[in-house]
Amino acid sequence: MPSSTRREFLQLLGSAGLISLGAIPPRFLVTAAEAAGVAARDKRVLVLIQLAGGNDGLNTLIPHGDPAYEKARPGIGIPKPQVLRLNDQVGLHPNLTGLRELYEEGKLAILQGVGYPNPDRSHFRSMDIWQSAQPLNDNPRDGWLGRASEWQFDRQPALAEALSLGSDKLPLAFVSTRVNVPSLHRLEDFQLVDGQGPTANRDRIRTTIKKLVADPASGELDFLRRATTTALTSAERLKSLSATYRTTVNYPSTGLASRLKLVAQMLTADLPARMFVVSLDGFDTHSQQQPGHAALMAELSGAIRAFEQDLAEHKLSDRVVLATYSEFGRRVAENGSLGTDHGAASMLFALTPTGKGGLHGTYPSLTDLTDGDLKFNIDFRSVYATILDKWLEIPSAEVIGEAFQPTGFI
Amino acid sequence: MPNLEPPAGLLAPLDFTSDRTWTAREAAHLLGRSQFGYTSAELDLAIQSGPAETIERLLNTQPEPIEFQQAELALRKTALATGEITDLKIWWLYRMWATANPLAEKMSLLWHNHFATSFDKVRSVAQMLNQNALIRKHALGHFQQLLHGMSRDTAMLVWLDGNANRKRHPNENFAREIMELFALGVGNYTEKDIQEAARAFSGWHVREGVFWFNQSQHDETEKTVFGKVGNFDGAAIVDLCLSQPACPRFLAMKLLKTFVCSEPKQELIEAVATRIRLHDFVMLPVLRELFSSQVFYDGANRRSLIKSPLDLVVGSLRALAATVKWPSITKLLANLGQDVFEPPSVKGWEGGRLWINSSSILLRTNFATELASTEQLASLRGSVTDVASETSDSIVAGLGRLLMGDLVEGELHASLVALHQLAEGNSLQKLRATIQLILSLPEYQLY
Repeated sequence: MPSSTRREFLQLLGSAGLISLGAIPPRFLVTAAEAAGVAARDKRVLVLIQLAGGNDGLNTLIPHGDPAYEKARPGIGIPKPQVLRLNDQVGLHPNLTGLRELYEEGKLAILQGVGYPNPDRSHFRSMDIWQSAQPLNDNPRDGWLGRASEWQFDRQPALAEALSLGSDKLPLAFVSTRVNVPSLHRLEDFQLVDGQGPTANRDRIRTTIKKLVADPASGELDFLRRATTTALTSAERLKSLSATYRTTVNYPSTGLASRLKLVAQMLTADLPARMFVVSLDGFDTHSQQQPGHAALMAELSGAIRAFEQDLAEHKLSDRVVLATYSEFGRRVAENGSLGTDHGAASMLFALTPTGKGGLHGTYPSLTDLTDGDLKFNIDFRSVYATILDKWLEIPSAEVIGEAFQPTGFI
Repeated sequence: MPNLEPPAGLLAPLDFTSDRTWTAREAAHLLGRSQFGYTSAELDLAIQSGPAETIERLLNTQPEPIEFQQAELALRKTALATGEITDLKIWWLYRMWATANPLAEKMSLLWHNHFATSFDKVRSVAQMLNQNALIRKHALGHFQQLLHGMSRDTAMLVWLDGNANRKRHPNENFAREIMELFALGVGNYTEKDIQEAARAFSGWHVREGVFWFNQSQHDETEKTVFGKVGNFDGAAIVDLCLSQPACPRFLAMKLLKTFVCSEPKQELIEAVATRIRLHDFVMLPVLRELFSSQVFYDGANRRSLIKSPLDLVVGSLRALAATVKWPSITKLLANLGQDVFEPPSVKGWEGGRLWINSSSILLRTNFATELASTEQLASLRGSVTDVASETSDSIVAGLGRLLMGDLVEGELHASLVALHQLAEGNSLQKLRATIQLILSLPEYQLY
């Protein structure tokens, strides 16, 4: 950690008067002092990009070598010459130029045929399944990263920090019955306003709030008190971050790019958060899919490329695994509205610093289908197991509830 | 409608002559849950007139004052003329704040959340307004009529790709959501039911802004839904959904989560579902029973729900504000996560703990600061600020009654009194500081 950053950060800690703040420790800050002493390998970070709506994997990683592709996609198929070929069989959507560069540099892993048994085609149900990692639980109360945070918190609280960026609500993946995960849009969103009236009154109000929320309660009140403690202390902490971050990388002016830039800012300032989820919406392409999907591909690729360059510039690449996921793929056959309906197995991208880029798994057959959908060959929980066991060093079986074999991308 | 025996068991009516006294706390609980907050005058009237009369006043249409009628009409016409959804949002927020029929607005919001449709895709203020009128018309009425109306509503048809649902290319979007989100809930249908029902809705299109049965695109062949076979059309599917036992249960869950508790027990859901069936899916008598029941006033269900942004913001404005700067309020509500006419998805707002994260806590705290200490959002009511001659103790008691359902006691009361006494400035600034503290508290986020 650059010493100036650390100093500011510890000053903030002191000025926030954290230790006195709550019966439940305000983890975000109380543990920050410990985090300053944590070894680099323990500061490994996970960034998840949620492609909400169900990304069309077939038009993302295109099986251009398979004649069945053209047949299933007469109206919206990507013409062969435009495909960014990775080999004779598959290639990327023409707008994924940044991702192809990363692939060629060995930094991008592409996992093919990812899914789960008895797929559900409801957005909400399937998103719940991916985020809870509990396909059999109809009404999941918490998410896989929420449970991972709990495990971590009980052992090394300094490493249990997480942040959600750009979602209106906290993604289920982060929901925990015990841990509050903050979520924000921009750093500027995260400030208390001063209002009018005598300054002394404002200070007195803030002091009184802090005193009152420190008492443990039960039920919703306890939940709100803990959330208030986390929010107020985080706000004080994040106040000076914008000033300390510089980059020469030109991020595209897209929503995803600005969210990933915020992650880079926080990593640069050595915020102790090590799990981030950012969302990119709009993948529910039931009709007139082509232009919208193409724009999303460009946004995804440009943002990840810039983020990776920024990480490299700040010598943070070795600390970050980034992965995309989506609740399902689309049907193999296009529908009558030049779009695609909800499907099942699909593919995902992972930025990996361990030299294990490339294609993983096998491309599902386009003719051997279940109900018109691709069959999976990698269970998404194996992907989670890889991230948990090999990267975050949190035992996956405890988080997922059963053991899954890691895949080879980390 | 046959005269029904009153419900027994969990829903048995609470006897206010023997079981419990009707005080400011009970009145505040009823008004807090059934309205978006309440004014001091509304609370006084409710305490005075007792539970039965208050409940009837809530349920039955009250005449709207002429000022309300004029303002409502002007705002509605403005929205239609500009075609700006922000103007329509202001129209609705104004209604919630100023109406003499707040329960109708609260139920309308429940149905907007239930049939969550977004301008983001519909792109027509007129169609969003029509859907809102449909919702308001049936807000406390027959759910059957609402569900049938919704299946032909143009905003809904645009929202869920009605025009893309054609004979040879069925689009499952509406068929899926009517089962998953509008009538039954996950687990009460099969994928096959959805595929078959989609064919029944084929040809239900929108043309020139109105519903159009496009015969040539309607699939006339046989369908099998919920094990029943027939040449069903869309209306038949709606009726089949309504006849499923899961339907009243699904609605009972919605009502309970909105008005009673965040995690209703199965037994309570069944009890309410039974009353919904007995009342033939008419909401008004079901709500009457709910608001009169023991379970509604049970201690465990008091101040146990987290306020939605609308409950928080409109509720505070109803209690405190004389005039409101609606464009700022509209933006604030969007930032807090509850942007009417633009719900995040067809699933609507899930609510409860999901309203709360660090960012929304800060926004709620900032709302308290701006409402209490500035004129940026609203100006305070004279009835609230006219306290020059009162003591700190009586001011805190008065604010506690208005803003916290008369539940300010112990350390909290002492802290508020101390703040009022020690606060700098004139009597208005001292009062504003006290209001700001109350509005910033976690306790105030509950109702």
